[in-house]
Amino acid sequence: MRLLAGGLLLLLALPSGLRAQDSVIVIDPDLPPGDSAVVRGGPPAAVVAELLDFYNDSATTRVQGDVSFPPGSEFSGRLAQYRGSLRLGGRVRGDIVVINATLYLLPGADVEGSILVVGGRLIRSAGARHTGPERVRWDAAPVLRTPDGSLVLRERRRPLGDLATARTSFQTGRVRTELLLATGGTYNRIEGLPIVFGPTFELRPSRASVARLDLRGILRTAGEGSRLNNDFGYSARAELRFPGGGVAGRFYSDVASFEDQPLSAAENGWSAFLLQRDFRDWYERTGGGGAAWVQPTRTLRAELSIRRDYESSVRATDPWSLLRNSDRWRRNPLSDDGHYFTVGAQVDLDTRNDRDRVTTGWLLRARYEHSTSDDIASVALPGAVRPDIPAGGGYAFDRLLLDLRRYSRLTPALRVNTRLRADGWLAGDRLPIQRRVSLGGPDLLPGYGFRAFTCAPRGFVDPSDPALCDRSIVAQVEVRTRLSLNLGYRMRDREVAGVGRFIGIEEADLVILGDAGKAWIAGDGPGQVPIDRIPSLHEWKTDVGVGLDAGGIGAYLVKGLSEGQPVRFIVRLQRRF
Amino acid sequence: MPRLLLVAALLLGARPSGLPGAWAQAAPTVRLSLRLAADSTATGSRAPIVRSENLLDDGRWLSALRSGLPVRLHYRIEVWRSRGGWFDAFERQAEWDVVLRHEPLLDQYTVLTIVGGRVQERRYATLDALNAALAFSYQVNVRPAASGRYYYTASMGISTLSDSDLDELQRFLEGDLGEVAQGEEGAGNALGRGATRFLLRLAGLPSLRLEVRSVTFEVR
Repeated sequence: MRLLAGGLLLLLALPSGLRAQDSVIVIDPDLPPGDSAVVRGGPPAAVVAELLDFYNDSATTRVQGDVSFPPGSEFSGRLAQYRGSLRLGGRVRGDIVVINATLYLLPGADVEGSILVVGGRLIRSAGARHTGPERVRWDAAPVLRTPDGSLVLRERRRPLGDLATARTSFQTGRVRTELLLATGGTYNRIEGLPIVFGPTFELRPSRASVARLDLRGILRTAGEGSRLNNDFGYSARAELRFPGGGVAGRFYSDVASFEDQPLSAAENGWSAFLLQRDFRDWYERTGGGGAAWVQPTRTLRAELSIRRDYESSVRATDPWSLLRNSDRWRRNPLSDDGHYFTVGAQVDLDTRNDRDRVTTGWLLRARYEHSTSDDIASVALPGAVRPDIPAGGGYAFDRLLLDLRRYSRLTPALRVNTRLRADGWLAGDRLPIQRRVSLGGPDLLPGYGFRAFTCAPRGFVDPSDPALCDRSIVAQVEVRTRLSLNLGYRMRDREVAGVGRFIGIEEADLVILGDAGKAWIAGDGPGQVPIDRIPSLHEWKTDVGVGLDAGGIGAYLVKGLSEGQPVRFIVRLQRRF
Repeated sequence: MPRLLLVAALLLGARPSGLPGAWAQAAPTVRLSLRLAADSTATGSRAPIVRSENLLDDGRWLSALRSGLPVRLHYRIEVWRSRGGWFDAFERQAEWDVVLRHEPLLDQYTVLTIVGGRVQERRYATLDALNAALAFSYQVNVRPAASGRYYYTASMGISTLSDSDLDELQRFLEGDLGEVAQGEEGAGNALGRGATRFLLRLAGLPSLRLEVRSVTFEVR
């Protein structure tokens, strides 16, 4: 017998004692995609009807809960058990039906008659004897016991969709509305913890296309003094997705970060919240824009975007942190304020087999941006970093980001992951300060301290320690092997005997890593690199390290190989890359 | 310096002294096994069979279920061609999910098996039956056809489902793969999702990932 359930082929059990059970489930990934309809397993209707007839028959002796027939006892007639367990150690002459309960045939049990177990198991001890047909189905019987003692069929009241009981969404006609109240962005020294609230409206013109409108208000919880234009921000985004592409438009007033490293947004939020260490710098932006994209295949996506916004400096405030709350936050650098008009093009090629636990594939992200401004109010920087920005308009620059990653397996036991990332100025006038780059810190070059390489000229002092480099390039490699550690502690469960609760790490990746990178100012001056070249390899800074990645949390020891760097201890809440 | 020593001790697999109780090595832990099907084809190609064991012997999952938290088992099997001396070649993979949920009013356990948008729901009334059902083996039809030396890797991630995960699952079951495919998250999810996972961990709620490899076999 085969029970077809979409991609599942549930085969009849092979072991003789488990007839009518599915002990091997066949997964066939080559079957065409399903329609998400739920196939409900369970005992056949005829079997359910049979057990209802048996149980409700007036000639049947019904028992419920945990019932024992001790050795030496005798019973004759029809016996039905509902829920709990039935332990037979004596002699039974007659048919037995066990419903949503477990039947134990203890040593010395002697049963003459048929046995039907539905919704439980039949556990037979050595020395138990049974003559007669035997049927066992583990799936629960959909029955209920009524106050008068009879069993009735239970209608299924809860569809699968009710799994998500916490959803705050509702349907009005063809429009699905969802209300959101959540944390937004990340905890930082400008806004504290932004609270995002507002509705999302979703309309599906067809099964394959979605129109969506997101309206979000942003409440900033940090105190005064940030120079933010308002305690409230907003974001309104309209989007239409259809097979192979989509278009979107957006208006916003929010706080954005200068660089997207040396920690991810979520990790940076935790660092700020727990340790009062905000590794990012921030500016406020208000404006709008649009984007259109095509996605000819699942792995390839190309996007064109356009936006115009006003970018302005914000000041660090003093939000609360769990530890080191009495320390002072690092100052937030000034940005080059002004209106920026930006057109961008981005290509993503993503063949990774998994976003979080990737073991194979490529990721290529290339983003080009051309920006102009006619009213920039620039921050005064040393001439060695940037020549004066032309006043009165005509400021324009190009920027490029390349991020290439390869995940591969060298042997059955060893995985090798590599990454090359280049970011920074491409052409035109030199970058505004909020687009400049640096190296050093937990992500790209963890063997060196935060902002170890900012390209600040000798004698330049700024307590905000801004990133001033034009360009950066980093190569990363790591070798991973899976270790079975079982490092931890097992606590006894007070409710269930013989069951323990393990606290610790069962398995983790042992990671051996190495990084090399360089951040620089392009030009012909002393210490600069010609604009059409990248630094020679001997100028790159390198580090090596070892660590354990338990998924969701990892700890590493990393050491920079130059300039007497100490061994650094790094904790990450996600994979390195 | 003390934290460096602690990390070094962890890296070396050292066991802190003075902690009471039994260590995990002595107790049954959740186990993932991977073997090759016996029914070889004429070419020697063999299918992988994956099985998890002792899931409910670890009280974490049972506690989570009884606390109303659904537990998700995510299985993935990968087919690799061994190229001895050079990077092995990834051939293909298959993934499926099993979601467990306890319904306290009925005192029953619901098991959802989700493969490629197809969902099967089964219910079990006793822990014995649930335990037996969770010990089902999965034979996966990813047998390689071309000649060469192959092996399989299997992984199983077990986690509790947060509300947002439930919502995502709900969307998936409704056929909305858009945001999953794009990797885009709604506003406010970055810290919120991280916070949920972090707090779940702090609370001692389960999250576990196991990996296992098969022996190498040859297809002629």
